[in-house]
Amino acid sequence: MSDVVLELEDAAFRHSISSRSLSKPFGKTQGSGIFSLNLKLRRGQILGLVGPNGAGKTTLMRILAGIYPIQKGKIKYNKSKSNNLSSISEMELRSVVGHMPEQVRWQGKTTVKRALEDIAEMRGVAFRVDGILTMVGLSEMKDSELDQLSQGMRQRLTLATALLGSPKILLLDEPFNGLDPVAIRAFEKLLNELAMKGVSIIISSHRVAGMVHIVDRLALLHKGQLLIEGTLKDIESEFELDNRIEIQGPGKMPNFEKIITDSNSILQSQHTELGWTVVVRDKDDNLLNKLVSSNIKINTWKSKDTDIVEMICSATGLELEEIGFNVVSSTMMPYKTRGEEE
Amino acid sequence: MSSYKKVRSVTIAHLSNRLFSARMAIMLPILILFIPGMAWGFSDPKVMLPGGITPSSATEVMFYTSLGIVFGATMCAVLLSFDGVSKDRASGVLEIKLSQPMQRSHQSLSLVVGHWLAILIPTWILWAISYVIVNYRMGDWPSIIDALTSFISVALILLWYVLFSLIASSHAREQGTSIAFGVGVWFLFTFLWALVTTMVAFASGVSIGEENDPKWIDLEGVLDLFSPNGVFHHLLETRLTGVERGVSPLISWFVALIWSLVPWYWFNSRMKIIQP
Repeated sequence: MSDVVLELEDAAFRHSISSRSLSKPFGKTQGSGIFSLNLKLRRGQILGLVGPNGAGKTTLMRILAGIYPIQKGKIKYNKSKSNNLSSISEMELRSVVGHMPEQVRWQGKTTVKRALEDIAEMRGVAFRVDGILTMVGLSEMKDSELDQLSQGMRQRLTLATALLGSPKILLLDEPFNGLDPVAIRAFEKLLNELAMKGVSIIISSHRVAGMVHIVDRLALLHKGQLLIEGTLKDIESEFELDNRIEIQGPGKMPNFEKIITDSNSILQSQHTELGWTVVVRDKDDNLLNKLVSSNIKINTWKSKDTDIVEMICSATGLELEEIGFNVVSSTMMPYKTRGEEE
Repeated sequence: MSSYKKVRSVTIAHLSNRLFSARMAIMLPILILFIPGMAWGFSDPKVMLPGGITPSSATEVMFYTSLGIVFGATMCAVLLSFDGVSKDRASGVLEIKLSQPMQRSHQSLSLVVGHWLAILIPTWILWAISYVIVNYRMGDWPSIIDALTSFISVALILLWYVLFSLIASSHAREQGTSIAFGVGVWFLFTFLWALVTTMVAFASGVSIGEENDPKWIDLEGVLDLFSPNGVFHHLLETRLTGVERGVSPLISWFVALIWSLVPWYWFNSRMKIIQP
């Protein structure tokens, strides 16, 4: 196994939020953040950081980028090629990390090249700008003004800033936003090449499905805590989300009880006007044969992808309604409820 | 790359971005009108100022021309630097900058010096042109000390306004708050300070409006130390003969140092803890 390049040891950071009152007009209190987080990043590894809104993904990325100072715990870095990890200062961290924040809105009359040079000068590598622009596919746009860039082009420019100075660790916060499918594929190829060269990459995203094929490991964050970290297979296995088949067919819902004897194997079943859908645990190798021999018409037979919601629900034991949007009657029906007061 | 080279490069980047901006192109005619324009007017041999005063030397003319700095250049300093931090913060570029291996104190130094030089360079050039205009009209040059004092004073007042704007910009979450603070501070010290002086005089029992009353002159002199524009004029007055407002040149320069260091320290401290 490749050596650990960065380690977070009981790292904690909580945002300071204003809590004003008459007696304390400038009062502050501790808000959300991350709590006692332990995480290891290995050389050449691509780690996917997933979690719902407010899980602490961006906070963690900013800690790793040396923007937020941790309030407790340690950040250790492998400065040599041996496995000796030692504490690292924020400045040192910034020199080895390339950070791509989410949705940077580049604007102004400055040219693309000039904007990148401004950042490169802070890193002391202004002379390498042309090569980076070519790498991210912006060489033809280098003399364009920032105001002329599309969202995808802006994403590429942000990626270019992260690649300045050949960082050992790359932090990418929602990097695929705004990119077209071709650009996404090229971007994934670039990430794989960088990983092959020993660059460790952390990708933060809401969507697991979009990045499962490029990440080596996944870390699931929820409410500032690391719920689980491992390969996708490990996580699916841990939460029993693996080996699931989604079957769809036309007409009425067939009677599966005769075919699938273990009732626990049927995980979900749904019937609509268009047909039926069931999700079953793939324990029986002959299930497809049984369904066909029972004259059940099947339109779709596919393995079911794991999504973040299922993972979080499984990891936290919460229901979808508890972790999703809360729609309460007072927000939806601000007026008198018919039939009560009237 | 050494820290010094980084600071220099980033400072030059800020400077060129601001110096060659559309904003500067709009403000340049204002500066030309206010600085060399005033110098041309005040150096007219037939000019008669309120109170029957006729400027008799280049230093005196440039003292009156300093009104162009107070009304024009300081406003330009505010307009040039009000979004020095807030623009990057709103767009997300600040997060990228804060993640670069450059100390935050160096980043704040580059910001201050870059923005300061962007307004200082054109102002100094116009100030120097004003001396040439005065010489052309009056045939008089100021002494080197007089000129040096005025150039340093101009540099200092512009630094103070740049610092006020950058402090506001670093605290603001959006551009509106930032410019409101910058223009508000400019308005307070440029137009409302006379009102503050009058109110304090009234509360202190000093007769208001009696411009030759020694008590009024002393009070106004002291209260001017609490305003950047007032300190600027105190510094210029150190080279004028016959002006006595109860504040020694040493005190004026000391207060100027405080006006420079305190906001700078404030801004530097703010940048050390700023979050994207």
